[in-house]
Amino acid sequence: MDSSWFKKSVPKMVRTKQEQEFDETSEKITWKQTETLNAFHIISLSEGFDLSPLFEEKKREEKEELRFATTLPASSVISTLEEVAKAGKFRIKKSDSMVRLQGEESGRKGKLAIAAEIFAVTPSFLVVEVKKDSGDTLEYNQFCSKELRPALKDIVWTSPVDGSTQRLLD
Amino acid sequence: MRRFLHCFCLMSSKVDRHRFGYEDPTILASETAFTVNEVEALYDLYKKLSSSIIKDGLLHKEEFQLALFRSSSKQNLFADRVFDLFDIKRNGVIEFGEFVRSLSIFHPNASEAEKISFAFRLYDLRQTGYIERDEVKEMVSALLSESDLELSDDVIESIVDKTMVEADLKGDGKIDQEEWKEFVAKHPSLIKNMTLPYLKDITIQFPSFVLNTEVKD
Repeated sequence: MDSSWFKKSVPKMVRTKQEQEFDETSEKITWKQTETLNAFHIISLSEGFDLSPLFEEKKREEKEELRFATTLPASSVISTLEEVAKAGKFRIKKSDSMVRLQGEESGRKGKLAIAAEIFAVTPSFLVVEVKKDSGDTLEYNQFCSKELRPALKDIVWTSPVDGSTQRLLD
Repeated sequence: MRRFLHCFCLMSSKVDRHRFGYEDPTILASETAFTVNEVEALYDLYKKLSSSIIKDGLLHKEEFQLALFRSSSKQNLFADRVFDLFDIKRNGVIEFGEFVRSLSIFHPNASEAEKISFAFRLYDLRQTGYIERDEVKEMVSALLSESDLELSDDVIESIVDKTMVEADLKGDGKIDQEEWKEFVAKHPSLIKNMTLPYLKDITIQFPSFVLNTEVKD
């Protein structure tokens, strides 16, 4: 999960406004079908195309996006996020392919809101992109490391240790 | 005496600039999306990058890799393709003019047509004028291995199949420029990687290399 692939954003068609109230925002989001990525979407994620290191000397700051792959169904991803929301006392809004969490209390820059979007590469291989929707970046990073990443450990897909390729059912 | 003068000449910026394949920033600015100031800033960057390993003032593959990945030996199919396309003259190095002209394509103000065409050439791994099915598969596999992800061959095949069905309208097993343009028209986000937003304000976004000092955010 630390490779730079996970720090780039997956292309999407709808962007949510960051400054709006939770309910208002949820109404305005176009709840759409799980978006399908094609081969060229995947290819375009390569770090070979990210030329920013040519310009930036300093170590890149923690990006606000987190991306992972999973072979579990979208419903498992959503229920895991629901558990995280409950544990962290977040309000939650969800659809088939999108989950939005909002903290109850205002932090340093207002309420922390996190959006997770689910993309299908194949019906059995999903890519989930989590990003901060509003609020303080430090609080978001803390949330990611303390609450989100530990909860995701069971659903994140990584290559099998013994080197054999997994047989995935379509 | 002669040696002293020789050293003195090397220190004068005029000779220095010719040595690095310097091109008139006004001309470069007029032919690209960059301003004269930005071209000059890019020249400072280019000088730094091109003297990191082989000190000949030209940007070699290892120096490009070093700058991109902080490792001069890191292999990456896509970085290789970017390097090859930046090397317009195909002489194995990226000269300053090539550097600026190629980077310009990634500028937010560059035309979509340029970006679409550049992406096509990037993905046409063997430069046959078509993106063949096996090239698509090779690139998907390369991306997965770059991310330490392994998918079964069946799954990779199904991803490639789905893409070819949609993109290869003539059904000849390869994607030509026309088909590519139509495909991108259907999925504009495909050329998202052809735009580097921070190029719009290089001198502001990356003051550290312009001012040559340690600048904190």
